[in-house]
Amino acid sequence: MRRFRAAVVLLCLSATAILLSRPSAGDALAERAHKLHFSSIVLDTHDDTTQRFFSKDFDLGKRNAEGSIDIPRMKEGGMNAIFFSVWIDGRILGPPAVQKALDQIDMIREAVLRNSSDMELARTAADVRRIRAQGKIAALIGVEGGHMIGNDIHVLRIFSDLGVRYMTLSHFYNDEWADSSTDKPAHNGLTDFGKEIVREMNRQGIMVDISHVSDKTFYDALEVSRAPLIASHSSCRALCNHPRDMSDDMIKALAAKGGVIQINYEKSFIDQAYKDAADKISGGVVAQINQFEKDCNHDEACVEKKVTEAQRQLTAEGKLPRVSWERIVDHIDHAVKLAGADHVGLGSDFDGATMPEGMEDCTHLPQITEALVRKGYSDADIQKILGGNALRVMEQAERVSREMLAEQRGADRQ
Amino acid sequence: MRRFTLGHIAAACAAGGIVLAGAMRADDGVARAKKLHFSSIIIDTHDDTTQRLLDGKFDIGARNETGSIDIPRMKAGNLGGIFFSIWIPSKITGPEAVKRALDQIDAVREAVRRHPRDLALATTAAEIRAARREGKIAVLMGVEGGHMIANDLSVLRTFAAMGVRYMTLTHSGNDEWADSSTDKAEHNGLTDFGKEVVREMNRLGMIVDISHVSDKTFYDALAVSKAPMIASHSSCRAICDAPRNMTDQMIKDLAAKGGVIQINYHVGFLSQEFRNAERSDPAVNEAIARQVHAKCGDDEACQLLEGDRLTREYVAQGKLPRVDWTKIIEHIDHAVKLAGAEHVGLGSDFDGANMPFGMEDASDLPKITQELLKRGYSERDVQEILGENTLRVMTEVERVSRELSGSAQE
Repeated sequence: MRRFRAAVVLLCLSATAILLSRPSAGDALAERAHKLHFSSIVLDTHDDTTQRFFSKDFDLGKRNAEGSIDIPRMKEGGMNAIFFSVWIDGRILGPPAVQKALDQIDMIREAVLRNSSDMELARTAADVRRIRAQGKIAALIGVEGGHMIGNDIHVLRIFSDLGVRYMTLSHFYNDEWADSSTDKPAHNGLTDFGKEIVREMNRQGIMVDISHVSDKTFYDALEVSRAPLIASHSSCRALCNHPRDMSDDMIKALAAKGGVIQINYEKSFIDQAYKDAADKISGGVVAQINQFEKDCNHDEACVEKKVTEAQRQLTAEGKLPRVSWERIVDHIDHAVKLAGADHVGLGSDFDGATMPEGMEDCTHLPQITEALVRKGYSDADIQKILGGNALRVMEQAERVSREMLAEQRGADRQ
Repeated sequence: MRRFTLGHIAAACAAGGIVLAGAMRADDGVARAKKLHFSSIIIDTHDDTTQRLLDGKFDIGARNETGSIDIPRMKAGNLGGIFFSIWIPSKITGPEAVKRALDQIDAVREAVRRHPRDLALATTAAEIRAARREGKIAVLMGVEGGHMIANDLSVLRTFAAMGVRYMTLTHSGNDEWADSSTDKAEHNGLTDFGKEVVREMNRLGMIVDISHVSDKTFYDALAVSKAPMIASHSSCRAICDAPRNMTDQMIKDLAAKGGVIQINYHVGFLSQEFRNAERSDPAVNEAIARQVHAKCGDDEACQLLEGDRLTREYVAQGKLPRVDWTKIIEHIDHAVKLAGAEHVGLGSDFDGANMPFGMEDASDLPKITQELLKRGYSERDVQEILGENTLRVMTEVERVSRELSGSAQE
């Protein structure tokens, strides 16, 4: 399996080398892809770059040797809208979790302000389109884990007012009110308070993100939410049987209610062979991550860097199979075949996951467009996948919010 | 004081033939005061109603029997801009303080969301004027105590982003970085971090509020701040010698840098007689505190209202002296004589203090206008005191913020 995969990777890598250079005059498909990519809104719904904002050495405005995201590389890759993730360990709860989340939201807002000639904070789909039209990058905020509201609906609303436009209901651990896909079920999905949270998110126009949550939590949220949901960074379980990915039934149910699955590029979510090999040495990996946490004194950007280095080393030693970026396209294609091109998008997990070869950073994004062109996707479908679908869900979340606020005013008057 | 006022009126009435003319003049005065009051922007920089907003039973849209502030009574008194205070006790610090401050900020924002026809969130002087033009009450927020930022400038910026437009550097206890007027001096004013907080407030366009702080903290803040400051709810120490009030020198120094003292209506800050009575018989206050606690427990909204109600009971029983609303005018007048009418304003402390008789709630505000005109204040001066001074400080703070933000980006 691994050897077979390696052979594919080699083929892919040579193809990548061609794709990376500007399209030659004779290649009409490459020309079309390039033009399409750079005239589209390319919206990535999940990036963990926020952790790097805490490092004095990191400058979002300059090209960095490490990581996957900065403004020069976003421009080069035509990525013009990004959800910066607000994330803290799911075991931190209560007021300390709230304050740490505020710190990260502030770091994002300050980073955007410092780069105001290239970037602007967006709160709505219309903002994203306007900012893009002005030639700037739209920055958005997603909170990755319901534990950060400290069980307090006021805090959820404050997040919303600060510009948070989605919240992932849980992270790796269960919240007090929602089960995670990677923890032992404690609530049989969403608790009553969890359902209240979903309704309040609807009222605030915050998209409900069901990445990370247990299958039961997903179905509970789907039932409760008045607005379509997103999976901000999840891939297809049919291709890689990971609890973080979505089953075909889930993808279809999500789409039936207007939602979108934003494909995650993490190797262990997109490649079964990689996941199997990683699982075999997972005891070692977990121990290693714990060691990294100590070495880095809980500097998450540092941990991320060490994990990436370690998996590169394991891959070089042949203990982990190589994974090509084309697996991303396989997942997109699988989800499109299941649910239609209206229900699939991009949620890279850049700067928070281990990227497949050929997708080291956001400069590689045009490859996805070209691969989809070569698969025969229409320009309209590709634009939806690149960002149009996520914007549509945002717009629907905004519309539901307006409706609910209007209904409430009506009720208050009576 | 009250008796003198009544006697004065009686004497005027007894003067036979003059009565008619006098009454006409009085009516003209009332009409003029009413016209001026209801055509002015009136801003109150300190109201503790927020505690009530957190209580699901309180409806700000309805006229309430208790407390001093709700939409109907604000309209009755033409209160056009109100700073809702975000306050938790000084002893609560760290992330818990942050979260509880957020709860209150959201409660204020939620009140605006629920009453969009009557209320509009405002964060600038221009937004206050715009709300006024639309016939809405401008809602603003002030954080009453630097302990709520938990030593974290990100939290300060979050407050600013959520619309908070002033922060009182301390409450009754010292912060980790600023001394309070009602605690033992610990930092000799502002620490270096405290000065950094003031500079960041300047950059963010948040007014530095020096009510509650020690005199040394006041002077440190005055030296550091690039923008004028306010005392959001403090009165004059020359009339009532409470550490929460400002000395004549402080008022003059505040004014010299463009700032404004917003007179607090709390009887214990207005009246030396009341303050003396409280201090000479601490048992009275202790008894009030006990009764408040027995009724309210930890419910802070209840404590504030019950404290006011019981104080009035004690006044009725003759155990505490009665203080009339005209005492507010004395403080305004004292500060105006010291520093000029451009440097005095209104910071009632409604729903958070013991109100004098005749100033039970926001509907009594027209009396202030009437009394100032009666004392010969010009209409312009009255409008400045009612709100224009606050608007001027806000405008100036916004200008400094733009300057500082601009230079940071270059």
